[in-house]
Amino acid sequence: MLEIKNLHASVEGKAILKGIDLTIGDGEVHVLMGPNGSGKSTLSNVLVGNPKYTVTEGSITFNGKDLLALSPEDRSHEGIFMSFQAPVEIPGVSMTNFMRAAVNAKRKYFGREPIGAAEFLRLLKEKRKLVGLDAHFMSRGVNEGFSGGERKRNEIFQMAVLEPSLSILDETDSGLDVDALRIVAEGFNALRTPQTSAMVITHYQRMLDYLHPDFVHVLVDGVIVKNGDASLGYAIEERGFDWIKNELKA
Amino acid sequence: MSSIQQYLDLFASQRTLLDEGCGLDPLNARRDEAARMLDATGLPGRRTERYKYTDVEAALAPDYGLNLRRLAPGADPYARYRCNVPDLHTRLRYVVGDVVTPERTDGNDGGEGVQVLTFAEAERTMPGWLDRYYHRAAARTPDGLTALNTLLAQDGLVVRIAAGTQAATPVQIVNMADGTAPLMSNRRVVVVAERGAAGAVLFCDHARSGQPMLTTQVVEAYVEEGASLDLYSVEETHTANTRFSHLYVEQQAASRTALGTITLTNGLTCNRTDVRLLGQGATTSAYGAAIADGHQHVDNNLLVDHAAPGCTSDLLFKYVLDGAAVGAYAGKVLVREGAQQSLSEQTNANLCASDEARAFAQPMLEIYADDVKCNHGSTVGKLDESALFYMRQRGIEEHEARLLLQHAFVNDVLRRVGIGSLRERLSYLVEMRFRGRLTKCNGCSLCK
Ligand SMILES: Nc1ncnc2c1ncn2[C@@H]1O[C@H](COP(=O)(O)OP(=O)(O)OP(=O)(O)O)[C@@H](O)[C@H]1O
Ligand SMILES: [Mg+2]
Repeated sequence: MLEIKNLHASVEGKAILKGIDLTIGDGEVHVLMGPNGSGKSTLSNVLVGNPKYTVTEGSITFNGKDLLALSPEDRSHEGIFMSFQAPVEIPGVSMTNFMRAAVNAKRKYFGREPIGAAEFLRLLKEKRKLVGLDAHFMSRGVNEGFSGGERKRNEIFQMAVLEPSLSILDETDSGLDVDALRIVAEGFNALRTPQTSAMVITHYQRMLDYLHPDFVHVLVDGVIVKNGDASLGYAIEERGFDWIKNELKA
Repeated sequence: MSSIQQYLDLFASQRTLLDEGCGLDPLNARRDEAARMLDATGLPGRRTERYKYTDVEAALAPDYGLNLRRLAPGADPYARYRCNVPDLHTRLRYVVGDVVTPERTDGNDGGEGVQVLTFAEAERTMPGWLDRYYHRAAARTPDGLTALNTLLAQDGLVVRIAAGTQAATPVQIVNMADGTAPLMSNRRVVVVAERGAAGAVLFCDHARSGQPMLTTQVVEAYVEEGASLDLYSVEETHTANTRFSHLYVEQQAASRTALGTITLTNGLTCNRTDVRLLGQGATTSAYGAAIADGHQHVDNNLLVDHAAPGCTSDLLFKYVLDGAAVGAYAGKVLVREGAQQSLSEQTNANLCASDEARAFAQPMLEIYADDVKCNHGSTVGKLDESALFYMRQRGIEEHEARLLLQHAFVNDVLRRVGIGSLRERLSYLVEMRFRGRLTKCNGCSLCK
């Protein structure tokens, strides 16, 4: 599904990613761990085409397409979704209008008519239930006055509505209380199919417990320095990152 | 030579025609003083504080015709223009140029207690009434454009809401610029909301013609004790239109006003608003939104005078500027000595979508009382890039995302529009405007 080769990227002239190689197959869940500032969010943002980040070298193919040649909108239509580490507020743009615009943009991309009013309301309701998001959030501005946890829940709600094939979850677990984390993780699992994949960034073991990832990668200073299965994640939770860094020096 | 000279010359040579065409003593009696003032001080220049963002001389320089002979518009304006907001029943009156057309009798039952009269009708049915109000509030602050209007005005409209009346139907005054040659119109309105009355007046400015049109307008609103008045002004004209509008509001104790000014399409607009809070506990909310691009120019200037204790003023103006548009905002809140427990909020926010667009913001406070709560602030900025990207990640095209953000920005102001159907209509028109489907007024799209 996704193939990243020798990816280098910089932000504001500063090199952050220094040669990433990563392949994600259909139906796989990959967890990305790494110390603060190692470049996890940078990688996510590069994947979704955030114009603040510049790719200086390397390639990314997504389902056979040159991802770097696509606009952020088209990447979204093609099935890439990012749950932001810090979702922004969009005051005055109601969740309902925002979601309608998003849903219809995707339908337009695939040559379909805009969604009917009743069908749209049904869709929102069904997906809200999945992540336990109350109806009143739909009439509020996007993330306007939402608590940290509510914003994260809202990200997964949007993911549920848009049904991406590749989901990037950037620390979606941070800021969620234990119950919310369970609901969100169960919601995420309910959306999984043999064709949907995910790259999940987390600092915590709980996420590993819920998601049963197929692979765990460790990013240090812009490079993936270690690959493994879920047990690597548990080892990091227990021992931190220093032992990996020390291994590298040795 | 100053641009004012041609108007003074015209006045000197056509005085008799003007007086006879008008035939109203309250108007004719005030022309000499206006002429004296204009002769002595001329037009406000760039060094006049309240006109520093608008070049009045240049705006008045072209040769505009005047309808001195009071020619009535040819066709029935109610058939010709058709301005009505969907789902909004109003009591409608057309003003073509500066000629007030007769009220339509059918369907114009504005209810008891609300009179909508031409100045001539008011003189006939309520002798002496007009003279009590005409140019009383306006005379308090000498102003060159108001003087020019007073010099040349020939008729006008009275809206009188009788004491205790709760008017259910808003009065709608549609100002239509129409004609085959450049024309100057001098419009005048007196609104009186008597003790304990409540009502709303909606002004819709439209242009039927692409000819250069110059309008001066003076609206005086007297809001008596415990009365409530909503004034809305929606400008949706043509880039060839120039409008100087001056709204004077005098409020007595426990009165309330909401003063909305929306500029959707225009050429040059210069709105002055003077609100005097004269009685204890009076409140005013003045709000405005403007969308301008190309070489459009919008200049709103407010002066709110807290002259009594316990009054509240709340000012909110937002502009979205694109192309080489100019948006100026200046608001001065004056809290006089003894006006304790005054509350005042003032916000001006500007979105500049292009590098050439210019926003001037000047919120001011002048306070001579100690127990007051006053805030003011202004911002000039671009759209939030991270919000834009967030939307694009969700698949919303960049152009559409910008539009949603700009629409939300303006809707924040429209929330203050008290009439639901009008608010929705305006919100829709704002969206159309951003989509480029409202580039000029074709008669009237507030309406159709
Ligand atoms: N817009 C920016 N301007 C300047 N530096 C940036 C910007 N964005 C990221 N960086 C820098 O790039 C580096 C990598 O940041 P990134 O957000 O990718 O880290 P991360 O691995 O996601 O960290 P965390 O675990 O704290 O979320 C950091 O040093 C950060 O300060
Ligand atoms: Mg991060």
